[in-house]
Amino acid sequence: MPTNKNAYQRYVVIDSMLRNKMRPYPTMQELIDACWERLHIETTLNTLEKDIKQMKMAVPDGFEAPISYDRYHRGYYYTDPDFMLGNLDLSADDIASIRESLALVQSIGAGRIDEKFSHAMQKVLATVAEVYEQPKKKQAAAYLQTMSAPPSRGFEHFELFAKACREQIAVSFVHYGYRKRKFTAVVLHPFLIKEFDNKWYLFGYSEKHGEVRHFGFDRIFSPLLLQKPFQRTDQTQTLEVLDNAYGVFPIPGAKKQRIKLGVSSLATHYFEAYPLHSSQILKKAADGSAILTFELFPTIELSRLILWHGRHVEVLSPKWFHQFTEDLKA
Amino acid sequence: MKKSIKSLLFDVSQQDQINNSANPKLLRVLLSEQTTRLDFGYVATAYYHKGGWITISPDTYLQIKGSPERYLFKEAEGIALAPEKLNFESTKDYQFFSLYFEALPMGNLVFDMIENYLGTPNDFNYYGIELRLEDGVEVVS
Repeated sequence: MPTNKNAYQRYVVIDSMLRNKMRPYPTMQELIDACWERLHIETTLNTLEKDIKQMKMAVPDGFEAPISYDRYHRGYYYTDPDFMLGNLDLSADDIASIRESLALVQSIGAGRIDEKFSHAMQKVLATVAEVYEQPKKKQAAAYLQTMSAPPSRGFEHFELFAKACREQIAVSFVHYGYRKRKFTAVVLHPFLIKEFDNKWYLFGYSEKHGEVRHFGFDRIFSPLLLQKPFQRTDQTQTLEVLDNAYGVFPIPGAKKQRIKLGVSSLATHYFEAYPLHSSQILKKAADGSAILTFELFPTIELSRLILWHGRHVEVLSPKWFHQFTEDLKA
Repeated sequence: MKKSIKSLLFDVSQQDQINNSANPKLLRVLLSEQTTRLDFGYVATAYYHKGGWITISPDTYLQIKGSPERYLFKEAEGIALAPEKLNFESTKDYQFFSLYFEALPMGNLVFDMIENYLGTPNDFNYYGIELRLEDGVEVVS
């Protein structure tokens, strides 16, 4: 459970008291008094005992603080005299950047990521006596607004998939294919979570298919972590494709190649402002129209994007990709 | 000392004897000390207006071949309990659902799932579901 703002403030006070060489071995009553003096909050013995217990817990739940009680001096101390909470040296700029990042993540509202990230950052800020004020939802970064889509189906499995990738654990799930209209049981040895256009995909070695496959979160049901040897796969090819593609669905059999698009003067403004890929080269004509060149694996998503622009964008080459894109209209 | 296994997962989706043109398709069986879970996928068809509906009788049970003992239905997820119905909106809809029963013994076994003993093709009866311990994969809790 995330620790609240007051708890972080008390941790900072406790830490400073334990590191105060002028008044070593503070008693519990002295810690309570210090919280009142510095924070102006009433603190009970029970609360501070819990705080110390929490601070002693291992990361990420606590700070692994080596706090001990000295019977002779009747007070608390750090068994490691060099220990300090977080041991971070953040500048005012660093703190401002963290605050801004928090506002951005909250604005995007990526559900549990937002929650976990805020919790982690609160701990960082607590170590430099900065406590992050959790903005109310509607007030969150009022100067910043991003497209925040409603929660999508399957995103609730994000943490399980992240754990599976991180700790290399095989996953069993049921998959429904929209096109084939078929349910299948899949065992995947996952290594990557990929987001594209606010859609989430899990990549891994599929036992059923005998190769690396990816599955949309929205089509995955009831994932279960399995206790079985993890099948490691060479990710090079997958990463190579993803780095050199617009989207996650390469057209089967198509290699990385030069793609040329003819773009109207109006659409050219957008492609200038928002390049589609790092390989984009734009050659502008006198009338403002342009020829865009990419080195990419052709994808379904690229074809759809071209169609979305209507008469403003057309495929000049390769010819097969021009035809492929035209056929998608049907 | 015998190792205690918490849950074993079986992929039964390829067992033709149970899934030959079956709809819903039985996909997985999860054996644990507390329950037996069966996972199904149903794909709505054009046979019924707007895809029709599905429901499961709470009197459904599991029965091991050759044994009179019945393992009773406990709960369901993703499907309505009769007489309630889960109505589809189109002939292209689909539904994943799970049924939970009293725990079957951990061992090699063949069992049936019976919704209606004198069933019609509309009832969800599945015969000869085969579980071999060697095919089960332990689930991480």
